[in-house]
Amino acid sequence: MKKILWQVAVFVMVLVLSTSVFTACNSSETEEEKVSTIEVTDMIGRTVTLDGIPQKIVSLAPSNTEILFSLGLGDKIVGVSEFCDYPAAAKEKPNVGGYSTADVEKIVATEPDVIFVTNIHVDEILPALEQLGQTVIVIDPRNLDQVLDSFTLIGKVTGTSAKAAQIVKDLSARIEKITDKTAGLAAGDRPRVFYVIWHEPLMTVGGDTRINELIEKAGGTNIFADTAGYPTIDLETLVEANPQVIIAGTGMGEGADAPFTFARTESRLADSEARASNRVFEVNTDLVGRPTERMIDGFEQMAKMIHPELFD
Amino acid sequence: MLKNATGSLTPNSMRNIRPHWRGRVYAIAGLSIAVIVVVAVATTIGSVEIPIFTTLRILLSQLPFIDFSPDWTGSTETILLNIRLPRIILAGLIGAALAVAGATYQGLFRNPLADPYLIGAAQGAALGAVIGFLLPVEFSAMGFGLIPILAFTGAVVSVAVVYILARVGKTVPVTTLILAGVALGALWGSIYSYLIIISGDKIHGIIFWVMGSFSLSKWSEVGVVLPYVAIGIIVILLYSRSLNIMQLDEEQAKQLGVNVERTKLILLAAATLITAAAVSFVGTIGFVGIIIPHAVRLIWGPDHRFLLPLSVLSGAIFLILADLIARTVMSPTEIPIGIITAICGVPFFLYLLRRRKGIVYF
Amino acid sequence: MAKLEVNDLTLAYGKTTVIDTMSFSVSKGEVLGLIGPNGSGKSTLIKAVSHVITPRSGRVILDSKDISMIHRSELARLLAVVPQTPILPSSFSAFEIVLMGRNPHLGLLRYESENDMEITYRAMERTATLPFAERRIGELSGGEIQRIVIARALAQQTEVILLDEPTANLDINHQLEILDLIKSLCTLNHLTVIITLHDLNLAAQYCDRLVLIKTGQVHAQGTPEEVITTDNIREVYGTDNCVYTHPVNGRPTVLLQAGGSRNGNLNRNNKPE
Repeated sequence: MKKILWQVAVFVMVLVLSTSVFTACNSSETEEEKVSTIEVTDMIGRTVTLDGIPQKIVSLAPSNTEILFSLGLGDKIVGVSEFCDYPAAAKEKPNVGGYSTADVEKIVATEPDVIFVTNIHVDEILPALEQLGQTVIVIDPRNLDQVLDSFTLIGKVTGTSAKAAQIVKDLSARIEKITDKTAGLAAGDRPRVFYVIWHEPLMTVGGDTRINELIEKAGGTNIFADTAGYPTIDLETLVEANPQVIIAGTGMGEGADAPFTFARTESRLADSEARASNRVFEVNTDLVGRPTERMIDGFEQMAKMIHPELFD
Repeated sequence: MLKNATGSLTPNSMRNIRPHWRGRVYAIAGLSIAVIVVVAVATTIGSVEIPIFTTLRILLSQLPFIDFSPDWTGSTETILLNIRLPRIILAGLIGAALAVAGATYQGLFRNPLADPYLIGAAQGAALGAVIGFLLPVEFSAMGFGLIPILAFTGAVVSVAVVYILARVGKTVPVTTLILAGVALGALWGSIYSYLIIISGDKIHGIIFWVMGSFSLSKWSEVGVVLPYVAIGIIVILLYSRSLNIMQLDEEQAKQLGVNVERTKLILLAAATLITAAAVSFVGTIGFVGIIIPHAVRLIWGPDHRFLLPLSVLSGAIFLILADLIARTVMSPTEIPIGIITAICGVPFFLYLLRRRKGIVYF
Repeated sequence: MAKLEVNDLTLAYGKTTVIDTMSFSVSKGEVLGLIGPNGSGKSTLIKAVSHVITPRSGRVILDSKDISMIHRSELARLLAVVPQTPILPSSFSAFEIVLMGRNPHLGLLRYESENDMEITYRAMERTATLPFAERRIGELSGGEIQRIVIARALAQQTEVILLDEPTANLDINHQLEILDLIKSLCTLNHLTVIITLHDLNLAAQYCDRLVLIKTGQVHAQGTPEEVITTDNIREVYGTDNCVYTHPVNGRPTVLLQAGGSRNGNLNRNNKPE
């Protein structure tokens, strides 16, 4: 009787020890939740099922690549697009695609478990990949809330939900820090903002864009909020609208700070309030254009540009 | 010989032949006034509402000796005088340039399908512009950058190369010129297309430039384009009678005292200079160079002494109106002007064709 | 002294020699006819004399000056050409085409004067082209166009006129009208005329002297009586023929006869042997 009790005690202890060792080994940066199948609905409404936590990931858009890295999944990435440049480690990854194009053969050759794409890939790349039996998830955030959702979604797909939730919590706090102060501003306290995407042709952001949302939530009014997409506008309307703040998106490609130079030197804007009060700024387009963690950095910068008196 | 009592020729029959000239001279005078009117009207219309009276007063106050106490805002004046007016003037200049260059090319090549871009000026300019877009060089002179200079150079060099290639001994046969021009134009076009493919995110800017736009026209641009266009037009007008005679075959032209090779070279150079200046700032605007001369010819005949000045005036009016449509129809967004010239130009021309019962003499 | 001289002229296109060391001259007030079969080089000669092409060797002398030394616009004031098949732009009116003949006399000034108009008008009157002065070239017949081009040459008011087959498309009455006109201009205004004709009889009637050309070389030169002979014609054209004397003015007249005898017994003169 005592021998059996002793054997049971040893067995239980071994069980407990091995379980704790096992769990300890696996609680590194990438804590993996044990799941058998993962079912998600992607951001254009497709239901996608995965057979397990993906070990090999392909990302065709710089924004998704950034998110994957910030979730600690850098090691699992086997293919990126040529424009994925942040963080620096992303540039070392194998190149399988261009801006809106992708080398389907190369992608398939890496044998990925999941491929993350955005809305520009939906028309042609998505069907091509699906036909080859690949698992594709579309990430297409249209506003700040959806940007946070994309973290959650990618976290769920890759078994990093806890980390994702942490990031979302931090970002939400930073966002609220700004919106708390700007939500209650009266219309008269919201400066007229003009965002320059490019100067030739003169392009700005419409009311349905993410940048527009950032402007509004930072406490400004986008002069061209009544347009859609990325319209080309004429100089007349801009001069007449008399912007109080001009923000130029820079950093995109060669000759990249041309919009900023335009905003600072265009003679016909010299009489605008923005130029008169020296409120012409530039912001890195990667920080406001890419729906990633860094978007909140851009958001904070814009808040300081638009309401320096509220944010130092 | 018919002589009347006083010994001079029967005046009645003579007068029958003259009136054509009189009508055409009146047309020139009329269109000249029309240009001024169109400029004034176009200045009053735009995406920003400005009362007509205010516009007229601002315009008039620019003239010496006229003084109004300003009761308008600084932004209104900026819009009218620094955005709209240079744009309208530039549109008029370029419309005039392209139309007269097209008429000259049609006369030189004796070909109704000729336009200012026939022998590679447009393709050369586009190639120059793309190179300018892709070079990682910052350059600024007199307020504009590398692109207009490269576009201008591209156009001129392209035509020069074509001319040299087409030379046979001392002569440049026009068919050889056309063939060489079309071939080289295709070559530039393919290089240009390749550069576009590898241009990545710059592609939007390049396409926009090539399609042509007056959206950010400045007075400095007018100042640069004006001398080229003016000199080119004057030279071409001086040779307009020779151009008439060149409509005969080259043999007859020589026998009538025209130095055919020199006339060809001078007219080609002047027309190309005008085209290059026009294209270098606003890209390649199509249809003006081919449709306006034909429309003028249908109405007022093929005599180049009237065809050329009337093309200048008609081209200016046409492009000012086209630009007006481009910037007001979908305000505040602008439609590229090449689309407007195509949409408006073609039906107008078809209408003219039908009115003259479809008979096209050239 | 000859008004116009052709000295040892050789004309060639590439390797093909069209005219071989030819010499002849024309005096002031004279009508010189160039006759010969098609392809003998007559049109090429006209081009050389009007300096449209450059000779391989030899010279053309006008008023003792080599024409290659004369500035083209000045040459156009001295010498006018009526080409054989002129290409005319179809949209110009007949009047405007004839008016182009005034070009050599105008500088950079752009408009023709009343005087120019009158000269043009008169030229059209003489060539009976006034009735269609306002019509476009595209609407006119070949013969009407021919007369327009002749009118243009008249309007050019030169001392020398070269005509290349000016009567080819004309009805017989117009043929005689035009040639009568040219002949009278010659006599009245002392014009010098070189005319190529393929109709030997017209050439004999109207020309003071003839040059008979065979494959680029002068076969015979002289008065019509000297040149238009049975032998010459047989040697150059290769046909048998009859050269008679015109009953009214004594000029040689070529009478034609259907070729090839129907029965071998008839000789050329249709007389039984």
